Parts: sequence; structure tokens; C-alpha cells
Amino acid sequence: MIRVRYILPFVLLLAVVFTGCQKLTEDPKGNLTPGTYFKSVSDLDAAVAAIYLQYSVDAAYANISAVTPCFGSDDLGTVSFSNKQGFLVFDQLNATPDVPDNRLSNAWQGPWTAIYQANNVLANYQQVNATDEVKNQYAGQAYFLRAFGYYMLVRTFGPLPLINAPLDVDARPQRDPVDKIYEQIVSDLKTAADYLPDNFPGAPGRANKLSAQSLLAEVYLTMAGYPLQQTANYALAAAQSDAVIKSGKYSLVPDYAKVFTTNNNTESVFALQFNVAGNLPQRLYGSSCMPQDEVPLSGPAGWNDFYPEINFFLNAPVCARTEATFYDTLKIRVGTTNNYNLVPWNSNATLSHHPFYKKFRAGVGDGIVETPTSIISAGPSTNKSLDIIRYPMVLLNYAEASAMAANAPTAEGYAAVNQVRRRAGLPDLAQGLTLTAFRDSVVKERAYEFAGEFGIRWYDIVRLHLLPQILATRSAEEAPIPDAIKNNPAALEQRYLAPIPLQEMLRNPQWEQNDGY
Amino acid sequence: MQRLVLILIIAFGFLDVHAQQRMIKGTVTDENNQPLPGATVRVKASNVSAVTDATGNFQINVGEQAAPVLIVSYIGYTEQEVPVSGPTVSVRLEQGTRALNDIVVVGYGTQRKRDVTGATSTVKSEEIAKRPLVRVEQALQGTTSGVQVASSSGQPGKGLSVRIRGVNSITGSNEPLYVIDGYIGGSIESVNPNDIENIEILKDASATAIYGSRGSNGVVLISTKGGKEGKTHVDFSTWFSKASVPKQLDIMNAYDFARTVNKQNLANGGSPAFNDQELEGLRTGGGGTDWQKELQQQPWIQNYQLSVSGGNKGVKYLFSFNHLDQPGLIKNQYYKRTTLRSNVDVKLNDKMDLKMNVNAVFPQDRNIQYPGDLIDPFTQATEWDPTSPVKDANGNYILSAQFGSIQINPVAQAMNQAVDNSATNLAGTGVFTWRILKNLTFTSNNTYEVRWILSQQLFGKETSLGMANRDNATSGSTRFRAYQNSNFLTYKNDFGDHSLTVTALYEQQNQRNITNNAQGVNLASYSLGYYNVGLGKTQFATSGYWADALQSYMGRVNYAYKNKYLLTAAIRVDGSSHLLTKYSTFPSLALGWNIANEGFMKDNKLFSDLKLRASYGVTGNQAVAPYATIQQISTGQPYYFDGATPSTTTPFGGPVSKSLKWERTEQYDAGLDAAFLQGRLTFAVDAYYKKIKDLLYNYQTPFYNSGLSYARNIGSVENRGIEFALGGTPVTGGKFKWTSNLIASVNRNKITELGGLDNILVNNIGSPQTNLSILRVGQPLGSFYGYQFLGTWKSKDAAEAAQYGMKPGDAKYVDVNNDKKYDAADQMIIGNGTPKFTFGFINDINYGNFTLSVMLQGATGYQIFSQTLAYMWGGVGDARNATTKEALDMWTPERETDVPAFSATTAKYNNSSRFVYDASYMKLKNLSLTYHIPDHLLSKIKLRNLEVYVSGQNLFVVTSYPGYDPEISNATNAITQGLEMGVIPNPRTYTFGLRAGF
Repeated sequence: MIRVRYILPFVLLLAVVFTGCQKLTEDPKGNLTPGTYFKSVSDLDAAVAAIYLQYSVDAAYANISAVTPCFGSDDLGTVSFSNKQGFLVFDQLNATPDVPDNRLSNAWQGPWTAIYQANNVLANYQQVNATDEVKNQYAGQAYFLRAFGYYMLVRTFGPLPLINAPLDVDARPQRDPVDKIYEQIVSDLKTAADYLPDNFPGAPGRANKLSAQSLLAEVYLTMAGYPLQQTANYALAAAQSDAVIKSGKYSLVPDYAKVFTTNNNTESVFALQFNVAGNLPQRLYGSSCMPQDEVPLSGPAGWNDFYPEINFFLNAPVCARTEATFYDTLKIRVGTTNNYNLVPWNSNATLSHHPFYKKFRAGVGDGIVETPTSIISAGPSTNKSLDIIRYPMVLLNYAEASAMAANAPTAEGYAAVNQVRRRAGLPDLAQGLTLTAFRDSVVKERAYEFAGEFGIRWYDIVRLHLLPQILATRSAEEAPIPDAIKNNPAALEQRYLAPIPLQEMLRNPQWEQNDGY
Repeated sequence: MQRLVLILIIAFGFLDVHAQQRMIKGTVTDENNQPLPGATVRVKASNVSAVTDATGNFQINVGEQAAPVLIVSYIGYTEQEVPVSGPTVSVRLEQGTRALNDIVVVGYGTQRKRDVTGATSTVKSEEIAKRPLVRVEQALQGTTSGVQVASSSGQPGKGLSVRIRGVNSITGSNEPLYVIDGYIGGSIESVNPNDIENIEILKDASATAIYGSRGSNGVVLISTKGGKEGKTHVDFSTWFSKASVPKQLDIMNAYDFARTVNKQNLANGGSPAFNDQELEGLRTGGGGTDWQKELQQQPWIQNYQLSVSGGNKGVKYLFSFNHLDQPGLIKNQYYKRTTLRSNVDVKLNDKMDLKMNVNAVFPQDRNIQYPGDLIDPFTQATEWDPTSPVKDANGNYILSAQFGSIQINPVAQAMNQAVDNSATNLAGTGVFTWRILKNLTFTSNNTYEVRWILSQQLFGKETSLGMANRDNATSGSTRFRAYQNSNFLTYKNDFGDHSLTVTALYEQQNQRNITNNAQGVNLASYSLGYYNVGLGKTQFATSGYWADALQSYMGRVNYAYKNKYLLTAAIRVDGSSHLLTKYSTFPSLALGWNIANEGFMKDNKLFSDLKLRASYGVTGNQAVAPYATIQQISTGQPYYFDGATPSTTTPFGGPVSKSLKWERTEQYDAGLDAAFLQGRLTFAVDAYYKKIKDLLYNYQTPFYNSGLSYARNIGSVENRGIEFALGGTPVTGGKFKWTSNLIASVNRNKITELGGLDNILVNNIGSPQTNLSILRVGQPLGSFYGYQFLGTWKSKDAAEAAQYGMKPGDAKYVDVNNDKKYDAADQMIIGNGTPKFTFGFINDINYGNFTLSVMLQGATGYQIFSQTLAYMWGGVGDARNATTKEALDMWTPERETDVPAFSATTAKYNNSSRFVYDASYMKLKNLSLTYHIPDHLLSKIKLRNLEVYVSGQNLFVVTSYPGYDPEISNATNAITQGLEMGVIPNPRTYTFGLRAGF
């Protein structure tokens, strides 16, 4: 009897074990799933914030690799030694799809990952329990950010698959022609301008109606140039930028240098936001633009990533803006002492033999901290917001577009460009310029106003096909451009587009690489 | 419980009362008439047994049997049955056909070695005791054929890479499945090597298929020691090892470095950085800073082991304690581990046994997680400016140097970071055995495991992660728990010439993991370290969860006819929560032919054993993560719409697969076991072919579809190989005995399909390297990809060099398409990191009380792609100047070497065969001399056993590899095998230790 009682618990245990079968369904309690999401406004808010985030990370626009495909421009150059091969091949107009150190991937993946997030928001935002007005404010931002992504991509890589809804995992779409992409961009920006309010108080990083209009103006201006050359768009560009100017919401920061040391200032129309302590650093400023020859008292030596080309620097107009833009005297530390020698940019005591950018050095006090004679510290990460659209761009877009639309410079156009020139410390543009001269002046103004900034100069070169002109003024001290490209107009023509990164080509065997790569 | 105890007492009391007394005394010796302590003596047809003492003597009660027979056994010796006539008996055991009657653990049961049809290898506790082991995997290296073990990092506490019959999975684990006392998937780190009785390695699919979806990479069954009946044994052992980095890289002194910097500056159009006066100062001012020496240390490693074991007929027990203290080879790095084990076997009654094993492990470590990357201090020590002192005149670290690396001072980095982990791992295994009928046994094996890990990190401002106000403190915890319940019935019977064993299993397992992490960035105060992350100006909190479940059924039949013809057939069905189609089936079949038992072999004197085996089976690899088929929305880092206020972000996860399967391995095996000359020579050979289908690859979606990875079954890989094990006793006689074991394995690996693609370039290892590896159909896993280096352009080739925009002295590569430029089209496979041939050779020479053990181990037929060596040439953004002494041998017009000169026109590719090196090696893994204090001396001091030994590990290595250690690599999966960047090498150690038994 004792024995039975003693075995019984085991038998019971067995019974429990065999009947209490394991459940094999999955429940990821720690992560949200599409079924449990897009219910409330805060869900929508976080999903939209995730689109912005894609642009601000290191693998996208937080790093100088963001502008790798723009190094063919005269405001961007790099050293021929060190790990800058990825920039160098573009500087030499000699890139291949396999860009060293994967430097091209930022320009490809940044916008695409944002477009992916935007598509998911736009596919789902209607489910959220809120008024249409609230929902549209979020949808508007998604439309803006998707358009911005496509705009960056289409200018850089040409034809793209047009994706405006979530895709199947195995889908491998074809590349669509450039005009279809622009059609989508324009439509998205119009919707955005329609949906968005004039501003989001306390959230300057959010795209608003005026950001959308400003970008739309820029898009129209680009569409009027290469490759579409739809010149009817000049008038549309003028109208959109005019609306922004007329809104009176923006004004130029009186001191040009302050534009680069203050966040979300009065001329910032749309900027990406950063926060170093929040693991979201901006790394185009600080160490990135500092010569390797410079060693601070604390922190790493400069990264030598980019500098202006010599003749771009030498041809700059003499003015306060030029002063604030370029860094032409390097501080070379004497051994491990705390003393520095000041040497001119073209001294043999430097390895780079180039001037650098001054305007990107300080950040908001967290980049390079220096006195005129020493460098106290240097950091690669700053909190500086990265301006994508500054008010001068609206003004210069207007100046150029209004003149081109009217077939002659307009008084308002002069006023717009002169506003930019006066702040730069330059005299007004001479009256009575021909259309071409006026346009060239505006384009030159853009070159120096936005020197080194986010490929703006390169995309002007692309839309106006300025490469022959750029090469003609290129200093012999820059990295040489192979004769086979320099002397061959057909080859040069192909350099206005970057190659699709090799890895992405391997994932898309249905695609053909851009011509010449 | 009280009742249980009562029953036990009654049960044992009952047995005692009814036993008749008839004591027999005896001695057990080996073939050299040396006493054999620890031999088991059992009375046939009873439960009575005894163990010989230190002098080989025993005493046993044979009860009332008229003609009692004693069964005397000892591991490694032939079991003998001895009829007893008088009151004393003397037994001489012979090593003879040692292996044949050994009991082999085969998973869900045991088999006699001679009945085994699968390909298995065994490592016994004696082999483990020979070396100062800190990890179980070390016991497998060089001792088992078909098993490649590489100690791929010298960081303390690091696991070894174990590959049974090659690599099977691209992205999944290639580590074998560890089964610890029946607990599947137990943590190998948690097992104290000294607690191990036996390790059984299951290699072919017939042996591993019973583990179904987890069996593809082979299975390692670990049985821990139990108590033995008899007097209480107290065993104490300890060892101390002095460890050091066995080899330093040849780095220039300050003077040579400065001269080379000048040369480099001139070549790049600059002016000399050091003037003549400064150079002279460096030339006469000592060598500058030796960063390798500054960073490294030569620690003492200590290990203490204490166990108490014993038991009687009813209860047997073993309690063990172990403590290991292992500082690292670089500063501010250590691993410590305390292990406690309690193994208790209780005989509940005639029909029931209960075994309770409890294991508790408390590892604790600091800074042992260096991944092998550019920013690791160990890498930086080879790139840092030797002209810079470690600290300035005020005793503060100099953080950045004007030359060499742009990263932070490696000593400052090592000293100002604390990545501390401490864990508590508890596992309890209860095994209940019920002999329901004479031939039918029920076993229930239950394990509950809890792991709790506390991770604390502090990165000060003087570290690369902490500089620029990103100094941070983290406190995180992980709680993991797993439960396994295996229940099986075993039916075993003989019907005349037929013997049959049938096993039926139901098993279930589930796991759950919860993590919490809090981080503070930019700390207001350092005084609290990581104990108050709230001091951070910015704070982050994350948490995570996953859980999974597995439910399985297995049936197995072992059949033997006349002990000659053997058959094993098994089928396992695994149901998993990870897959959409939950259940998968894994069958296997094996046949064996004991030729030696055939009539026609009766008169043969040569073979004492000859067996042919053949098997086929299917196994799986669970390389699919939980939730791989559910699209997820994660929480990303916050976004700051005003640059300061965090907003939550919830990025949408990538698209997921619509169907996923386990990787499926089909394996064919044919083997032969032979023993000659009464077992003095044993030989085993196995040939196998493994085809792995439905390979899982984390395929990256195009960026327009998120760019995130999703698991996909994309292709297949095959492994074919041969493995040999040769064991023998070349000399034995008198006091002298020499035993020798040689194992060798050859494996060929090939990718046969990649889901329609020909190539997948792989972006891997560390921050700076890209596309060093490639997956290519027809090539093995672990292929390196890059440019084929041809040395330098010579003066006579100046014209040709000019076509490339180069000049003599610049680097020259193979221009595959002859388009006069080097680009992606010129890249090719330039090496492979998977060894083709591995071997181990172990010799034990006994002379009287001395034992000399020599273990050689090696691998050949592979290369290492070393980025450590590549970066020492400077000229890259992170390492500006060359540090390697080889830079002194650069090309000059006068002396046209193949070392490219500094030049602005050269193409310096780190992804070139210039940095691919043959890594074949042979190491003296262990050399030890043990002295066993003679027994007559021991008996005076009442000791059962006392041994002292001295030994050395990794005393020499034969290799042409110029880096630190040919055995190390960054490999985290099969693709990246052989890639190396800043990995800390295996130490050379000098050890002395003692083992004492009371």
C-alpha cells in the first residue's frame, strides 16, 4: 500500500506531462507587430519620427559619406592617400560600382530606408483613431520625407523603381524612368504642402508647409534643367519660392558664420536634427573637415575627409562670407608640446596642401574648440542641426527661376539675390545683366553661399551640365582625372550619374547599371 | 518527504538484514602487476559491489551463493569474470581489447562499444586530467578525429570553435549540440572540466539524428561524475600557470618609425615631420614606447578543485567545488569562475532510481568582450606612435598622437573602460528511472535552468566610445530560463540469437529570455561608476523578450543478430515554435557487421576486433531565430525634433519570409573499426559525405525594401571527408609503458547552390573592412575576396606601370580583364580560412612513477587574411603611418624589393592577397611531466594518491604565419573564417600543479 502511494505522484506527474503539451505558437511580447500598431496618434507620431531618424543616422546623412557621389564638384575634394579612396574616385570622376569602403552606400541607403518607412506610414495612417486634420499633419510629413528621398536619389542615380506602397519580400521591380519619379515627387510635395501647417511650434525639425513649398520650388528648378529640361517648370519654381518669401516666416541670419554655429536659426527651412548624448551625432562637422596635420591638445587628429578644391577657394569673392567659409592657416602642433606653428595651407609642412572649411569646424561649440593659436580639443560628433534647405536657397531659387521664366532678370529676382549678397558682405549685383549673366551670377552665388554643403553645388553642376567648365578651372594639384574621361565628352556625360552600388546591383539582377559603369 | 526517507531507511535496512556474510578478500593488478586502485568488483547475479583501494585491495561479501563469480572491471581494461573458490583471490586485468566492452553513451541510453553502429569518439576523464583545462572544448582538441577545435582567441573565458565534420551552416551556428547529463543545449561554459566522467562525440547522422533539428553540427554528450560505492574520497587539485603572449610583432622603434614617417611625407608631397636634431634625439634616446609591452601583462592563472565523493548501496554522491582565476594577457582584463556541483544518486527501491544533479556556476569577467576590431586596444598597440610616451609629465594619458593611429591611446582605452559581466547559472537535472518490468524501463529526465546575467559597463572620457561627452555607464540584466522534460521507455530483450532494444521518447522544451538595459550618457559624476546610471545627462532604457518551444517524438530500434549483424533505425519528429510549418521529420538508419565474430575469423590471430559500419541519416540546424516569420516594429533610438527633446521612434521592421524550413543535412557514413594484437593497436576510419540543403541565409533585402535582412532557405553546401584514429601501445614491459594516439581528419567543403545567385559578397569583420569574404558556388565557405598582389612595379616595367597611372615601386596586382586599371572586375578569390587537414598526436610515456605526456596538434590547408598586419603599413585613414619593421625594406630604385614604396600613385588595397598568409601550423599543445608519489610513502601519510606535475602549453609552434597566432580568427560564422583583426593570441603557459586524494 505504501508503495502504491509512493509511485502515485510520479504517475500523476507523468499524466500531467503528457497531456500538458507544449504550445508552439509565437507571441513576440517585446515587439510591436502590424496587428497591434497604428491605433493611436502616438503610434503614428512614433512611426513618422522613425522616417526622420533614417536620414539622421550615421549610415545615412550624419556622415560625410552622405555626399560621396558629389565629390566630382569643385567645392569638394579629398586627399589621395589614406582611406578616402571612396571620395577620391568620385573626385576623379572615375568611380566604379564597387566604391572603396562602401562610401557610396549612405547616399543610396539613407533615402531608401526613409522611403520604406514613409510608405509604411502612408499605407497605414488612415487606421489611426484621430481626426483627418491630425492624421494629415503626419501624412504630410511622410509625403515630404518620401519626396525628399526620391529627389536625392533621382538626381544621384537616375532611373529608380518607383515604390509608393509596401512591397512583397521577394519583389524585384524594374527601374522606372526619371520623369515618372519626378511626377511622384511633385505629387507628394503638393500633397504635403496641402496637408501641413505653416509650422510646428516647439518642433523646428518637422517639415512644414513652407518646407514642402521650398523643396517643390527646388524640384521644379531642377526639372527645368538636365535631364528633363521641362522649362515650363521655371514659372512653377518661381511661384512656389515666391509663396515662401511672401510668407515672411524666414529671414537671413545677419552673421554668416552664426548659421553654422546655431541650430534651427531664422533661415533654417528644413534641417535634420542631431543629439550627441542621444547617440545621434552629426559627423560632417568637426573632425571630418579638419586636416590630419592638425592635432588638438585633446581628442583625435583631424580626419582629412574633405576640403574645397584649390581654385574654388582662390576664385572665391573677397568678402566676410569667404572669410567665414574657408580655413587657410593650419595649426601644426610642435611635437607633443602644447605649442602650435601657424602655417599657410600650401606649406610643405602640411600633407594635404589644401585650404579646409572653417564654417564646419566649431559646430555648436562641440566640434573643434580652438583659439587663433591653438586647438584645445576636437570632436567628431556635434549637435549641430544639418540644414537641408536654408532660406538663401529659396531666395536664389526664386532669383534664377523668375528670371528664366520671364526670359530676363526681374527686379524681384535682383532683390532676392542681393539679399543673399549683402549678408555675405558683397555689393549688389550689377543691374542690367543679360539673362545668362544673371543666371551665372546666381549659380555662382549658390556655389559660395552653399560651399561644401550637402552636394548643393554638385547638383547645380548636374542640372546645368557644368562639368566641362569645372574641369577647365581645376588646379593641376588636384587628383588627376583620367584622360579617357576628361577628353571624352560622351564619357563625361555619363559622370553626371553615380553608379548603383555594386551590392544593390547583385541583389537586383534584373537591373542594368548606369551607362559608363 | 519524511515518508520517502522512511521508505528508504526501511528498504536498505531490509536488504542488510537479509544479507548473509561471506567475505572474500583480494587484489587487482594490471598486466605489470601494479596495483589497480579504483577497479570495480561485482558479485555476479547480485547487487553487491566493491571498489579497490589505493593498493589494489578489496573486500567483498559474496553472500550465500555456492559458487560465486566476481566480475572485475576497470575503465580501459578487459572485464574479467573470476570464479571464487578460496577466501582470497587475485585478479590481473589486461588492457587487451579495451574499448570493446566499454559502455558508450549514445543519447537516451547506452550501448556496448561493440554494438555501436554510429561514428563516435570518446574522451575520458583521464585524458582531461592531463592538462590544465579551463574549458571543456579544450579537451576535444587534438583528441578526437573528425573534430576541428580552434582556440580562436586568447581572451580569458572565451569559448573555442568546435567543428565536427566541417562547416554546415552559413549564418547559423556551426557549434555542436552539447547535451549535459541529458540536458540538450546546456551551456558548455557551465561545466567544470574536472567534473566530467566522459565525453562522447556523435559524428554521423545515425548517431545524431536522434537529436533531430539540432543534430546537424554533431552532438557532444557530456556525462558528469558520480559518487562510487565505498569509502569517502576527498580529492584536491590545484595548478598555477604563468601566461604570456607567445610572440610579439616586429614593430619599429621610435627612430625607425620617425625616419619612415619622413619618407612617407616626402612621397606624399610633404616635408619631413622630424628634423635631423629630433631624429638624432630619437636614435640615442632609447627605442621609444613599446606599445605591445605597455598594454600586455603576464598573469598567473590559478585553479583550485576540491571534490568529495562516496556512497553506499543506497546513496552515492559527489560534491565538487572549483575556482578559476584567469587574468587576461592585456591590462584590466580577467575571467573568474566558481563552480559548485552536487550529484546524488539514490536507489529508491529495487525498481526505482532517482538522480539529482545540481550545478551552479558563477562566472565573473571584465573586458573580455573585445570583438577583434580596429578600435580594440590590442590592435591599436600595433599602430600607435612609438615616439609618443604613454603619459605626459603630469601623469595623464596622452590621448592622441601626431603620427601612427588616429585612435585613442590603447593603454588609456584599456584602463578607462570596464565591461563587467557577472552571472549566476543554475541547472538542476533530476533523472527518475523506473524498471517497470524486467525488460522495460521508464526514464524521465528533467532539467530546469536559470541564468541571470548582470552586465555593467563604464566608458570613461578617455576611451574611443566615451570621448566628446559620450562617456557612459550601463547597467543591464538578462534572465534566461529553460525547462526540458524528456521521457522515454526502453525495452530491451534477447530472443535467442536476436537482441533488441527499442526506445520511445516524448520530449518538450521551452526557453524564455528577458533583458533590461539602462544607460546614462555624459555622467555628472564618475564616483559611482556604473552603479548609478541616473547620473547621465541623457538616459536610455531598453528591454527585450523572446521565448520559444520545442516538442519532439523519437523512436529508435537497435537490433543485433548473433552479435554479428547490427541495425539501428531511428526517427525523430521535432515541432518548433520558430517555423510556420511546425513539424519536421528526421529519419536515420545504420548497419554494422562485426566481422571478428564470424566463424571464419575464429582462428584469426591478427584481429581482436573488426567491424564495418554504414549509416545514413537526416538532421537539422535550427538557424531560424524566434519570430523570423512575424513582421515586427521595433523601437529605434529617439529622434529630437528640437535637437533636445527625445521623441519615440518605431521603425517598421523589414519584410519577412513567408515560408522557412530548418537547414537539412543528409549524411552518409562508412566506417571501419579494427583492433589488432589483443587490442594493443586500434584503428578506426570513417568516410562521410554530408549534403546540407535549404541553407539559411540572412538575405539582405534591397534598400528600397528596407535593406534589412530576412532569413531565406537559399542553397546548399557539401562536406566530404575522412577521419582516422590510430591508438596503440608500442612499448610495454616492466616499469616502462608507452601509449600513443594519432588522429587525423580531412574535410573538403563546397558551396553547391546559392538560390540562383553565383556570388554573395559579404561585408564583415570590424568597422573598417568591407567585402573581404565571398560566397561563391563551387568554392568552400570562408573564401577571401580581393586583389591578387604581385609585388611591385619594377623600373624596367615603368612604361607599363604608367598605363595604370603608376610608377616603379607602386603595388602591382593581377589585372584580370587587362583594362589597365584595378577595379571590382579584378577581384578574385585569394584564399580560404577553413583548414582542410587537422591532426593531433598524443603520447604518454610511463616509467615507474613518472609520466611524460606530449600532445601535438595542428591544422593545414588554410590561410589567414590578417587586417592587423595590413593596418601596420599605415596609409589608411585610421592608421596614418607604418609601424611594421618590414617597412624598412621598401622598394627603392637601387633595391627593388616587392614591398611597395610610399607613393601617392600606388594602390594600397587592404583587401589584397598581400595580407593573406598560409596559416598551417603544428603546436606543442601540451608537454607535461607528472610524478606519482610512490604508494608506500603515501600510506605512511594516509594519502590515497598524490601527484605533482609541471607542464607547458603552446611551448612552440611550427608555422610560417607572420602574425601573432595562426589559430586565432574573428570568425563569427562560417563565412568569416580566417579573417583576423586585433585578436588576442593564445597564451603560452608554464604550469605546475598537484593532485591529492585522501
